[in-house]
Amino acid sequence: MKWFLDLTMRGKLFVCFGVMFVLFAAVIATAYSGIAAILQSQDRLYKEDFANVRDLMALRANQNQMRALMLEVQLLTRRAEQDPLLAQATERSKQVDQILLGLMERAKSNPGRLARLEELQSVWQAFAQTKDAEIIPLILAGKLAEAQQLAVGVQQGREQRIRAIAQELGKAAEEEARLAVADAGQRANQSFRIFLFIGILAAVIGLVLVLWMERVIAGPLRSLSRAADRVAAGDLTAEVPGENRADEVGDLTRMFRTMLENQRRVMREIHEGVNVLSSSSGEILATTTQVAASAAETASAVSETTATVEEVKQTAGVSSQKAKYVSESAQKVSQVSQSGRKSVDGTIQGMQRIQEQMESIAESIVRLSEQSQAIGEIIATVNDLAEQSNLLAVNAAIEAARAGDQGKGFAVVAQEVKSLAEQSKQATAQVRTILGDIQKATSTAVLATEQGSKAVEAGVKRSAEAGESIRLLADSVTEAAQAAVQIAASSQQQMVGMDQVALAMENIKQASMQNVSGTKQAEVAAQNLHALGQKLKQLAEQYKV
Amino acid sequence: MRTVDWDEVRRRIEAARAAAERAWALDPEEAGRILEARAQALAREPEQAPAAGALELLEFLLAHERYAVESRYVREVDPLENLTPLPCTPAFVLGIVNLRGEILSVIDIKKFFDLPEKGLTDLNKVIVLQSDKMLFGILADAILGVRRIPLSEIQPSLPTLTGIREKYLKGVTRERTVVLDAEKLLADEKIIVQETVEETRS
Repeated sequence: MKWFLDLTMRGKLFVCFGVMFVLFAAVIATAYSGIAAILQSQDRLYKEDFANVRDLMALRANQNQMRALMLEVQLLTRRAEQDPLLAQATERSKQVDQILLGLMERAKSNPGRLARLEELQSVWQAFAQTKDAEIIPLILAGKLAEAQQLAVGVQQGREQRIRAIAQELGKAAEEEARLAVADAGQRANQSFRIFLFIGILAAVIGLVLVLWMERVIAGPLRSLSRAADRVAAGDLTAEVPGENRADEVGDLTRMFRTMLENQRRVMREIHEGVNVLSSSSGEILATTTQVAASAAETASAVSETTATVEEVKQTAGVSSQKAKYVSESAQKVSQVSQSGRKSVDGTIQGMQRIQEQMESIAESIVRLSEQSQAIGEIIATVNDLAEQSNLLAVNAAIEAARAGDQGKGFAVVAQEVKSLAEQSKQATAQVRTILGDIQKATSTAVLATEQGSKAVEAGVKRSAEAGESIRLLADSVTEAAQAAVQIAASSQQQMVGMDQVALAMENIKQASMQNVSGTKQAEVAAQNLHALGQKLKQLAEQYKV
Repeated sequence: MRTVDWDEVRRRIEAARAAAERAWALDPEEAGRILEARAQALAREPEQAPAAGALELLEFLLAHERYAVESRYVREVDPLENLTPLPCTPAFVLGIVNLRGEILSVIDIKKFFDLPEKGLTDLNKVIVLQSDKMLFGILADAILGVRRIPLSEIQPSLPTLTGIREKYLKGVTRERTVVLDAEKLLADEKIIVQETVEETRS
């Protein structure tokens, strides 16, 4: 069946309608042949059987008319009146002849009927002969009785004979016609059956074809239509069913699939694009909002700046005056620093004198210390002397003891000497102690003097540094004075510049105002864009990809 | 800053100088008082000499202890000068000194008595002991003087003291002065040194 599926739609239609056409042709042919047969039968019925019956009836009617005319002729006596009637009778007679000829002509194919017709013709000729040859002259002659005799006698028998044959033939003709009608009816029935059969067959085949076509064509189209319905509803994930076919439906399916694929891809890209657009528009909106806010802030800042510039301008004027004042002050400070420098020089000289004196003090103290050392030596000598005096006193006591009673007084003296020696020793010990104190004091004094000397040195150094600092200060102050002069000039220029700046700031302020309104419009536009992006996003989200 | 009152300083120096000058020339009051005191002292009755049986003692310090010898056996006391150590002698013989042309051996009785060394002391006095047979000097830190002490005050030596010390001990006074028996010391054979040194072979 693949071949059928691969056929084009036209081919399919051709095939289906061809089959139907063939079936219709068969039906038509069958009907035609049946109707033709019926027509033929009717024609034959009309032309033969019906003509025969009619002719036979006309024959009998003409004969009866002729008898009636003959009887009327017999009733009339005048010749003038009799002639038209006779002419009519003759006319009738001729018609009967013609009818007989016609009948015989038609009965050529039927020998039985022909024989009967020839018999009828012979009887009729005999009757017509009798009539023309005997009866009419008798009548014309007025011999009615004879004529009647003839008419009732022989002619009567003939006439009956004719009637009988005619009836017989009529019955035979009716019988034939009845047979012919029955035949035609049978044939018509047969034709009807054939027609019915073919018709049912055609109907069944046509139904099958319709169902099949429906399945082959409309089924895929329906599923396509369902898919299209889902696509129309926004579900692009709809799968397109259908096998691969070479016909239009296959083409349509493929096209639809391709279209759906493209649409899906496009929708996906649109989706991404819309997402990007949405997020971008959101960012743009945010950025624009920020920009608007920034522009507003900038505008306010510029406004403040303008005010500030105005203040700065005034401040610059004040600073210009101050700079002049500073310049003058710097001149004075320079003079003061010069005098300060001289003072410091004097201080340094004084400090140096103090140092020299401190050195001489230290020298004196050292000499004092050396002298106390000499005192110490003297005291040591005195101590030694006391010691020796002590020993001498002891020795004297020993000697006195050795001398016995004579030495008693000497012993007392020796005791006194010893006591004096002891006192001397104690005194020297005290002097030594005092001397130690003096030496400690002198050491302390020397140390203090040394520290003082160092302090004075440090003072000298500091004074020198201070002198240097003051010199540098004086230089700096001089430079500062010059700088102050320059500053005064600069601040004059600055004031001019500040005027220009104020003007420029005014322009900037106007520009920033315009900027603010522009950014406001841009913000509105960005909001619209954002709303559009959101709307697009919603629209795109209706499509399932 | 603390300013120095130079006037005050000058005044104080002046006062010191005056005080120093005054020290040399006693004021008459002071001199009279001193003379009065001396007169009083000299006018006092000499102390009643105790009954016979008193000892004349020379007291001296050695290793922070008070010692004494009878002054009968003391010829003189001298400062220690020019001590010359002498080889090949016992440890208690410190050396010899030249005393006015007389050669004198010097003995450290601390070592002789085997007393414990109690740190460094002056050891700058020599007490020259003399008897008929013997003459030598003993070292002392300081000479305290000559005193007379009744025999009754001298107690026998402490029972705890034994050995070489007891032998030369005469007794102990109430002031805890150790009285040495100079006679025995001078008579002791141990003091005489008889040492020979063999010639060293080289």
